[in-house]
Amino acid sequence: MSDEVRLEVKNLCKSFGITKAVQNVSFNVYKGTIHALIGENGSGKSTLTNMLTGIYSIDSGEFILDGKKVNAKNQVEANDQGISIIVQEIGTLSGLTVAENIFLGHEQRFIHGGFKNTGAMNREANKLLKEFGFDRIKAGDMIDNYNFEDRKLVEIVKATYFKPKVLVVDETTTALSQEGREELYKHMNRVRDYGGCVIFISHDLPEVLDKSDRITVLRDGQYIDTVNSADVTEEDLRTLMVGREMTGAYYREDYGEKISDQVVLSVKDVTVPGIISDVSFDLHKGEILGFGGLSESGMHEVGKAIFGASFDREGSVTLADGTQINDIPTAIKHSIAYTSKDRDNESVVINQSIKDNICLPSLDQIAGKSHLLSDRKQNEFANKYAKEMSVKMVNVNQFVSELSGGNKQKVVVARWIGKDSDICVFDSPTRGIDIKVKQDIYQLLDKMRKQGKSIIMISEELMELIGMCDRIMIMKDGKINGEVKRSPELSENDLIGMMV
Amino acid sequence: MDATAKPAAKKKFTGKPAGYGMLVIFIFVAWLIFKILSPSNFGSPSQMMTYFNAGLMAATGAVGFYFVMVMGMFDFSIGANIMLSAIVGCVFANKLVQSNTGLGYVGFVIGCIVTGALVGLCNGLFYVKLHIPSMIVTTGLALIYEALGSYFAGGQLQTLPSNVRGLGKMPGNLIVAAMAFIIAYILLNYTKLGTYTYAIGSDEFVAKNMGINVDLYKVLAFVISGAFFGIEAILTISFGSSMEAQTGMLSMSRNFVPTMGCFFGLAFRKYGIPLPAIFLGEFVINIIFYGFIALGAPTAIQDVITGLALLLIVAITTKVRKGEVVK
Repeated sequence: MSDEVRLEVKNLCKSFGITKAVQNVSFNVYKGTIHALIGENGSGKSTLTNMLTGIYSIDSGEFILDGKKVNAKNQVEANDQGISIIVQEIGTLSGLTVAENIFLGHEQRFIHGGFKNTGAMNREANKLLKEFGFDRIKAGDMIDNYNFEDRKLVEIVKATYFKPKVLVVDETTTALSQEGREELYKHMNRVRDYGGCVIFISHDLPEVLDKSDRITVLRDGQYIDTVNSADVTEEDLRTLMVGREMTGAYYREDYGEKISDQVVLSVKDVTVPGIISDVSFDLHKGEILGFGGLSESGMHEVGKAIFGASFDREGSVTLADGTQINDIPTAIKHSIAYTSKDRDNESVVINQSIKDNICLPSLDQIAGKSHLLSDRKQNEFANKYAKEMSVKMVNVNQFVSELSGGNKQKVVVARWIGKDSDICVFDSPTRGIDIKVKQDIYQLLDKMRKQGKSIIMISEELMELIGMCDRIMIMKDGKINGEVKRSPELSENDLIGMMV
Repeated sequence: MDATAKPAAKKKFTGKPAGYGMLVIFIFVAWLIFKILSPSNFGSPSQMMTYFNAGLMAATGAVGFYFVMVMGMFDFSIGANIMLSAIVGCVFANKLVQSNTGLGYVGFVIGCIVTGALVGLCNGLFYVKLHIPSMIVTTGLALIYEALGSYFAGGQLQTLPSNVRGLGKMPGNLIVAAMAFIIAYILLNYTKLGTYTYAIGSDEFVAKNMGINVDLYKVLAFVISGAFFGIEAILTISFGSSMEAQTGMLSMSRNFVPTMGCFFGLAFRKYGIPLPAIFLGEFVINIIFYGFIALGAPTAIQDVITGLALLLIVAITTKVRKGEVVK
């Protein structure tokens, strides 16, 4: 690890209205290091890196890169200054080819006399893809022809082919499968090895400790501390992030509790062509049933199928009273809740307020017998559940689009807690959520279970499945490949064997 | 990651051959239906050429309009633009012909295209500066363009001098249309304007973050679109020999055909042939129009069946993925 400072963050401040997102933050990032930036949702991590990469303007303070002040107005300017970013969600543009995405904003080198040399651009992009080991992705193909993971690989090429001095990886790993993560780690290490530095944002503390050299902790927009990864434990980091020692259980601590015999939902021979086939299981009252597997194993489709959101679904999803669930309105009417992994596109209404998002499925309940909706009732309802989920917000009228990823997730969970659903299908419920709120959600799930509510938990995080579920179904190639029961002896390796 | 994994998209029966195949089928089916219904006065080779010529006019405007539509904007001033551009071009042509400078064609062509481009510039500037939806801005401006057209026409029918009407028939119209197609094709595929057009249409916010001057390119899209409608105005008045100023939004009736052609382009974009699809789509539309005329169908029936047929064609070709949100 070098002692030479590459990036100096000096007295940086940023506010959105009355919200002080970043307050006087200063720290150094050294050459040849992976420097993690951690903190709870809304602590200012993404705001800070968005200022560095030109997505947000700087209110005051400065970034000094290799002794020179940098203040990019957009990502292309940031690239020109040696800074790039890989974002959490999709960062490539539909309707363009792979090559056009890689060189978007940097086409000038392929333009002669005003005309773009598409052939030369494609050749250069193919060469890069080959160098990165992604030569099955073709430069001339439309980006839309590739799945999420492959598009992320294109983003890796786009963000690193010009050997940036600073690479920001903003909560990208949570959206990737294990294989995708390994590819990303490989290229983060490559940046470190040639003397660049990586600012690595992640909520996964074991990952942070394993992959980074130094860690800076932010809390409520303020700088807390910078530590060497080798000198701290997960517990130390949690304490720094939350500002106090975390008390109480993280996961459930009970073992050996008998699951109720009462079946609340029965899934029989459910098939979604090309995605899942012949999936059958029963969900019991007060049970947390986990689904694990690789990202493309089909487990995410199981959630949709139960909620009536899958197209061309075959087989049956039946409630205890014989009601067939074939569509979303029927599912919601019969007290089934669902949160999707694809939060921005499928769970939150991004350009509506927190209030609207929380109240949406409960409007009848809020309106009551009068069938009239008042602002007061909606505010009360939204405030109650936003508060319960500790959503960091100015007020419930704030737009969801202004919230951090984790806070958006809290809004989604708040919505269904407000609905008081009896069967909850939570797909990746803690994705992008900080350690404190994760604990809150785990405790909430445990409380719901004890109240007799039944939960299906779909997750790529094996430890949370092991820690929280009564039973775990492992999916592989669209089928259930195995089932394990809750046990203190259960390990990740037991599940991985069934996944791959 | 699995090195053998393949892109998610299905490769079978996609791409340009599938797109062209589908368009040829549409042309054949449209021809066959009317040929069966009206064998004596429809669908001979020379008549098909007439339908094709008629399609060329709207297609030249539609290929420019495609830039606007891909970016997610709309233009309700198409008809007013064509009318105003044709009148201004005609006024220029008449003045230059009368002055015996021999520059009748030059004045006519420049008058039409520059007027069209200026109308596009106005549309674009008002849209980006006022932050009002493009539909509303262009509807409001259409009224102004109609009034301007009436002012320039001086309340008279504007007739193009007989010696500058060569672009209204073969091969003049085909040459103009081919040039328009080539220019649009180059702009779309071989300049960064084309890349930015698709980038802005895909995600404006991300495009902005990539350093693209989104407002500038939106204005440029309107200017290109306007200039191409100016070219359509050249073909329109050359073919019909005169243009009458219309007010009270009557010019909007000219919006329909270029817009429908543009829908063909958008629908066939996934096959990689948006611009050829516009030309062939306009041909299909004109086969249907002339087919009804051959049948002697009342105008109301013509409109109903034409509208339904075109919706059906776009629905068949668009084939959105299940669950995809359509706005």
